[in-house]
Amino acid sequence: MANPAAALEHHGHTPTTTGLDHRKVAIWAFIGSECMLFASLISTYLIYKGRSVKGPFPHEVCSPPVCDTVMKPILNIPVTSASTFVLLVSSLAMVLALAAVENADQPKHTLGEKILGSSRLWLFMTALLGTTFLGFQAFEFTSFVHEGLTIRTNLFGSSFFTLTGFHGAHVTAGVLWLLTLLAIDIRRGLKPKDALIVDIAALYWHFVDVVWIAIFTLVYLIH
Amino acid sequence: MATTAAAPPYIATHEPSRTGIWSWLTTVDHKRIGVLYLVTALSFFLIGGLEAEIIRAQLMHPNGTVVSADTFNQLFTMHGTTMIFLAIMPLSAAFFNFLVPLQIGARDVAFPRLNAFSYWVFLFGGIFINTSWLLGAAPDGGWFGYAPLTTMQFNPGLNIDFWVLGIQILGVSSLAAAFNFITTIINMRAPGMHLMRMPMFTWMAFIVQFLLILAFPVITIALVFLQFDRFFGTQFYELAAGADPLLWQHLFWIFGHPEVYILILPAFGLVSEVLPTFSGKPLFGYPVMVYSGMLIAFLGFGVWAHHMFAVGMGPIADSVFGVTTLLIGIPTGVKIFNWIFTMWGGNVRYTVACKFAIALVALFTIGGISGVMHASPPADLQQTDSYFIVAHFHYVLFGGSMMGIFAGIYYYFPKMTGRFLSEKIGNWHFWLTFIGMNLTFFPMHFSGLAGMPRRIYRYDAGQGFDVYNLISSYGAYLLGFATLLFVWNLIRSRKHGGVAGHNPWNAPSLEWSIPSPPPDYNFAQIPTVTSRYPLWDHKGNVREFHEGDAVKTARELGIPMPFPTIKPLFVALFLTLMFSGLLFIHKNNWPMAYTFMFGGAAGMVISLYSWLLSPLE
Amino acid sequence: MGTHSRPRRLTTAALTAVLAVLLAACAPAHPNSIFHNHTDFNRDVGHLFDLLIGLGSFVFLFVETILVITLIRFRKREGQPAPAQTHGNTRLEILWTAIPALILAVIAVPTVRTIFKTEAPAASDALQVTVTGHQWWWQFDYPQYGITTANELYLPIGRTVNFTLKTADVIHSFWIPELGGKRDLISNHTNYLWFTPDSVGDDVFNGFCAEYCGTSHANMRFKVFTVKPDEFAAWARHEAEPAVALDTASKPAPAGKGAAPSMPVAQAAPTTASFVSFPRTDIPKYAVPETPIPAGLTFDQSLTGNAVAGEKLISAPTSMCLACHAIKGNPMMQGIVGPNLTHVASRSTIAGGLYPNDKEHLEYWIKNARVMKPGVAMYTLGAGQIDPMTGKPTDIGKLTDQQIADIVAYLQTLK
Repeated sequence: MANPAAALEHHGHTPTTTGLDHRKVAIWAFIGSECMLFASLISTYLIYKGRSVKGPFPHEVCSPPVCDTVMKPILNIPVTSASTFVLLVSSLAMVLALAAVENADQPKHTLGEKILGSSRLWLFMTALLGTTFLGFQAFEFTSFVHEGLTIRTNLFGSSFFTLTGFHGAHVTAGVLWLLTLLAIDIRRGLKPKDALIVDIAALYWHFVDVVWIAIFTLVYLIH
Repeated sequence: MATTAAAPPYIATHEPSRTGIWSWLTTVDHKRIGVLYLVTALSFFLIGGLEAEIIRAQLMHPNGTVVSADTFNQLFTMHGTTMIFLAIMPLSAAFFNFLVPLQIGARDVAFPRLNAFSYWVFLFGGIFINTSWLLGAAPDGGWFGYAPLTTMQFNPGLNIDFWVLGIQILGVSSLAAAFNFITTIINMRAPGMHLMRMPMFTWMAFIVQFLLILAFPVITIALVFLQFDRFFGTQFYELAAGADPLLWQHLFWIFGHPEVYILILPAFGLVSEVLPTFSGKPLFGYPVMVYSGMLIAFLGFGVWAHHMFAVGMGPIADSVFGVTTLLIGIPTGVKIFNWIFTMWGGNVRYTVACKFAIALVALFTIGGISGVMHASPPADLQQTDSYFIVAHFHYVLFGGSMMGIFAGIYYYFPKMTGRFLSEKIGNWHFWLTFIGMNLTFFPMHFSGLAGMPRRIYRYDAGQGFDVYNLISSYGAYLLGFATLLFVWNLIRSRKHGGVAGHNPWNAPSLEWSIPSPPPDYNFAQIPTVTSRYPLWDHKGNVREFHEGDAVKTARELGIPMPFPTIKPLFVALFLTLMFSGLLFIHKNNWPMAYTFMFGGAAGMVISLYSWLLSPLE
Repeated sequence: MGTHSRPRRLTTAALTAVLAVLLAACAPAHPNSIFHNHTDFNRDVGHLFDLLIGLGSFVFLFVETILVITLIRFRKREGQPAPAQTHGNTRLEILWTAIPALILAVIAVPTVRTIFKTEAPAASDALQVTVTGHQWWWQFDYPQYGITTANELYLPIGRTVNFTLKTADVIHSFWIPELGGKRDLISNHTNYLWFTPDSVGDDVFNGFCAEYCGTSHANMRFKVFTVKPDEFAAWARHEAEPAVALDTASKPAPAGKGAAPSMPVAQAAPTTASFVSFPRTDIPKYAVPETPIPAGLTFDQSLTGNAVAGEKLISAPTSMCLACHAIKGNPMMQGIVGPNLTHVASRSTIAGGLYPNDKEHLEYWIKNARVMKPGVAMYTLGAGQIDPMTGKPTDIGKLTDQQIADIVAYLQTLK
């Protein structure tokens, strides 16, 4: 079978017990499993909160003798709020991308309809916003390292970088996934019958987004 | 892959080869993958058993000198790791693979290639961990790997690296398989196969998959922390940085206790198939069996800290975890009585399979009772980390899981191969195993109460341990001999066993309606089910195979079959290579580390894309 | 069933044999049995055990009896009609849900009561002992008496002892099966355990490390001596004293300077003022280690050591001993990594309870500790000895047999 997407879509036509596609059921099981993964990471971060024997600390000033010099609280709430906003908007773009694929067959007349109905645009936007979020994270990590916090510095550094790094890795995987869909879309155009594969990617993307809301609240906002 | 009742409108264009090594490397047939799991897991079972025999040789007499302290520590670590992750879990997986689609009336699992991938990851992960023996650096931190003993500070060798990476690789296998089976059971049941009509083994398999997907991420994270500590200098278990060693213990046991049920519930499922068949009666209290399985699994997530009564959690935590642990005794007791009353009033045929199943009921009861004994925290303080615990969990895992698995193998071997295992050798195997198992493990209750700590490689004479250890060692040799008989039985019966029909035991469920061994498409016509025991009730639309009828090929029937493919094997191989690269970091050989890690990652991504973009059937 | 009967007959024979052996096994003493109720702790646990074993045996007999009856009564016979296809029985199932629940409730109540009793804070006048686990030996500090010792505990009969449990490295677990425990020693945590050895005489008990802690986990043992209060007082007074220097010419009389311990001694007992340690001859056989000396080690037993020379050797600035060991009264010996040697000769064992404390074992120990006890931190010190951890001849210490004999002679004066 020369057409790769045809292989992907084949499953969708098989009647199943629940009427749902296998991949949809599997992605929900996967997301359930991922919840435990992030729950373990977040719990560890919270358990180790306040246990670091030296700075920098997330929300508190570290002064001598605990630290050699006075170290400011390291978390940059305004910047991270911005990146959180970017990730939230990316979920909106994802919704539009899925809607565009589902309605790919509808005729589009106005410019607005054409823009809203362009799955390529919204897939691209989602990936772009995801990449922007990763850019923010790269900036955050770099500035932390400059301020003296690495993954080896203290318990806070270890648990913070591992938690947010795991999340970043999930976003990266999501961006690659979106770009793969975009490539398929550009090659042959995604049709309503392809909605499922976009739907599954969207579920994953929204999940990663929701996890970030939890991280942002528990790590950044709550002192 | 078609699960529809009606024949698909087009004709299969190919007929996968059923012979030759290449056909095994590329197979995506759940039944052949099941057989691969079975053979591989039994091989690891023999390795783990050999490790146990050496342990028993060392402990046979006071101040034994068979092996050194370091070797002994590697042996008991690898014995536990091997038996749990490389023997019992994959033996259960062998039955998940072989049976679940057959029992629910499906032609395959939901993702046949993912299924092959799970197997290959398991195989490579198992080989990876055991490679450490060749380097003389087998894991030596115990199967529980408590930090900080497993950190770089106290264990600078490659030993723990092999363990940390190996368990993560095996975790990938278990998780991939679990997603697959959850989807299969939810989505691929034959018409009329309601959840409450599913055979009990499929039910237990279903529950176990949920335990897997919820428990494995937790151990993965605990291992990631340890791995980061060892390779990248993080401080999760670094004492000087203020780390809490109990973090590891909590994460480990949040995984570790559900893991116990991951090991035992499949065996419960197998016994729930075997006993009704040989009693000629339905399973007693089917709904209660389902609910008690669910309850055991659910409570299993709330009792992890009963492994930690000696760590000083305080009276409130000790009380809470003690009482919830006692609660698990209730659904477990219910299961025991339901099995006994399945036989009550029946015509029980004592085949070898049935004897093993009865042995589970008898022996698991002992493990359950000692389990209740250490659910009481003050009493547990005197039991934990003594040989009493070793006795307890061997009654649960050998007396329970392995007896159930042996029952399953004797019961399903005819379905897998079309031939019976020899009942004569089987009887010897059963009785020697039964005696050997009790000889080995029952005295351990006494040595534990006599004050013998676990995991010691030597002890003085006159401490009250001598006789019990001597008996245990003789028992272990007997078990070893019995196991060799079993292997001989498997090899011999594969070619020379008596020919079994499609339903040699007069069993009630769907897998017995089709030829033995089943054709690659399983069901020529997808059955319609209207009862729990379709072959007994003769209800629904189940076409039972007639002995002597020709078994048609998929092509003749027009059933599309998935293409065989080597790609899942490649993804698994590259994944393992990627993990292996981390070992070189430890040796400060960065070029090799990068080569393996990035080479493995690139190879994995390429083969994964190639897999995802190629057609299934 | 012709083919089945032979294994079954053998089974009966084998089970009879097992039973006989097990009965015979009851005869030997169990010097570490958890059922010997020498403390309040073990009595409380013992009551729970009685309950658990009683109920457990009942459940075991009940279930196995029903199982056996079922197996005999409902075995397949020729010409039997097909069994009735029963699917369940709600009343029965409720019954066997309720009965286990009731049994478990009977267990839960005394369990919780015992938890709160045994985990309550210890009495304020309790004897305080700080236990520090090391790979692989035990450090015991008596802060009320200014004592630091290793691998041997002295406990006064009838007085509650409160252990403060810590570790210097990995997790260990403190266990004296006949007295109580176990409780883990965990880094960055402090645990407590208390009991009162009240129904004992002058006696010796074995202690073990119960948590796997690395290579020599099996070799991490200790002894507990329960002695009369006045004997304990005498022992404590003696242990608190500094060691007596032999070569007074070379040092400014340390013995005179620090002789009087400033710590108060609880009970004055003039009658047993001479009590220094539990008499060796009274130590029962089960408390005397029997670890064989590893093959390949040799020592010239004809040598006699010179204690003064030995003292000089280990106190010299170039000595390897002072890096790890302390001897109160010897200003050169201030190490804290290894066991405190101030009164080492008063102890009955060395090397974490692995060997008897006598001339021969001390000599082998100093010559090549790493062969004597796998993985141990103490270096191989004998000249020309192979260090098993590196596989090469040691370049540390390089002591001759004569030098070792001298050191041993000195150590044996540290009563």
